[in-house]
Amino acid sequence: MISAPLGKELLLQRLDGLRQIPTIPAVLTPLLRYLEQPVEQLDVQKVTDYIAQDKSLAAQCLHMANSPLFGRGQKVESLRSAVLTLGFHHVSDIAMSCGVLNLLPTGKTGMDPVVFWEHSLGCALVCRHLARSLRLPDPGKAYLAGLLHDLGIIVNLWVLPKEFLTAFELAKNQSIPLHEAEERCLGFTHCDSGGLLAEKWQLPAGLIEVVTYHHAPEKASQNAPLVALVHIADLLCRMSGLNYGYVEERQWNLFEDSGFALLAQDSTMLREFDWARFTFEVDSYLDEVHGLVRAIYRT
Amino acid sequence: MVECRCKPKGIRVSPAPALQIVPLQLGAPEPDLVRIRDLIYNVAGIFHPDNKLRLLQDRCSRRMKELKVQTLREYFECLTIRPLRQTELNALLNEITIGETCFFRNRPQLEALRRIVIPNILAAKSQLPQRRLRIWSAGCSTGEEPYTLRMMQLEDADRELRKWSVEILATDLNERSLAHAKAALYGERSTRNITFTCREKYFLPSGDKLRVVPTVRANINFSRLNLSDDPRMSLMKNIDVIFCCNVLIYFDLASKQRVIRHFYDNLLPHGYLFLGQTESLFGVSDEFRLVHLPGATAYVKGERTPAGGESK
Repeated sequence: MISAPLGKELLLQRLDGLRQIPTIPAVLTPLLRYLEQPVEQLDVQKVTDYIAQDKSLAAQCLHMANSPLFGRGQKVESLRSAVLTLGFHHVSDIAMSCGVLNLLPTGKTGMDPVVFWEHSLGCALVCRHLARSLRLPDPGKAYLAGLLHDLGIIVNLWVLPKEFLTAFELAKNQSIPLHEAEERCLGFTHCDSGGLLAEKWQLPAGLIEVVTYHHAPEKASQNAPLVALVHIADLLCRMSGLNYGYVEERQWNLFEDSGFALLAQDSTMLREFDWARFTFEVDSYLDEVHGLVRAIYRT
Repeated sequence: MVECRCKPKGIRVSPAPALQIVPLQLGAPEPDLVRIRDLIYNVAGIFHPDNKLRLLQDRCSRRMKELKVQTLREYFECLTIRPLRQTELNALLNEITIGETCFFRNRPQLEALRRIVIPNILAAKSQLPQRRLRIWSAGCSTGEEPYTLRMMQLEDADRELRKWSVEILATDLNERSLAHAKAALYGERSTRNITFTCREKYFLPSGDKLRVVPTVRANINFSRLNLSDDPRMSLMKNIDVIFCCNVLIYFDLASKQRVIRHFYDNLLPHGYLFLGQTESLFGVSDEFRLVHLPGATAYVKGERTPAGGESK
């Protein structure tokens, strides 16, 4: 039933041979670099100009800016007013989120792009919310980490679509985590393939670790708290129904999780944290994520 | 409907948590409504996430009409500083739980029980000579919950569970609710969630209502029990799963802690405690551990603190 594991050699071979390797959309790289400057030096017009270069990206951004997940309740009608009401970094989060959607191969891949995007966006929002609630530094970085953590799935869809689909079907049929099915069918996981792409893209070291170790946070070296945060947010999303369109039949004991122990090293008050309430909050905005993603994807 | 089980002795807001969760600000909800939400959570342990705030507002509006109060700010005062605030709080809690009792109320929770919790328990008990499970519906109200549990068991009768005898205990404080439960006759509101197949299989029409069939009703042990009755609570032994949904919300913190300590003792080591969909034990118990199941949360037994859980 299951083909012999392909192993990482084949992955490397295919990844090297691939011409149209997914890249962060051309618009976003200069935009993100521009936004690295101190806020007082940023110019609203310049930011809107960057985004407006890509018409579909601009339309998607506007749609998101009007979602209660990002918005402040006021209607936003132009990119300019989006930047003014939401701030530079929220707009960059939004642009980046739309960029990730555009990385997926078009055409029939066997994995519904909607569920991929829902999981990535949901995880990004949960990461940011958790980072803020735990008063960790840089919730923006947490957002980006959550958004990109499953980069490897995009790689797998590009380089080994058929083989990956077998793994995905196995995961669905047996209600097991995707990385376990990948390990069995392919001999590597989306963590491995994502890590390779993240290195190729020369992403910051923290993000490379997130992509590579989000299923095994104890292996992270430099950025363990960030990796642990993404690990926990990912699990919360998967338990709450944002899991690639199927249910994992698992019980997750947060307090025995390796990610929890790592995060506890960084945030000493973690044990006092109200996880029940946090879970209820997360559940409530996952509905919003469903609605938003479906709305944008239809446009 | 759940009746008030004991009179709260005054609003006790559990000690402020060291870390406050930053509000999500889904479209900036009204601050006074958020204050009422937080009050209800601190006092009763039932949480209204941002997407359920509208529901909370409707419930408040009904009470406000009754009291002829115009604004949420004024109503917040009715709940906190005015005389009769206890009565008002209970009236609001009653509004909140109205219509909560129905067959198959919380599907993800029931699915988690069926697909994960029961198999875990069967595995934990596999070496025991007796193949017996005890499930307790604590605060069963008019009986929908225990009957639902029995129907689910019957549906699973061809799986592993067939070899096990499943005892369902159903208790409530209110005699009238128990009489209703035993009569097993239900209207549209209670049966709104059942599927066509379920209706055909487990209900018989009786006038404009539906009566639960005898096979489901057999062997459910309905009895009157006050969860604050310490001696009787100590007699509940060897329980595998407790359901206690939207019952503890009427208890003050000290009473809640007493009940929870009993539940800890009533449950076997591998036991599970299920609460209402957005009910939490935060600030009530350090002994139970929150676990996540697909679409639901539950509590399992953690280590008991050396002081026997008397730390609060």
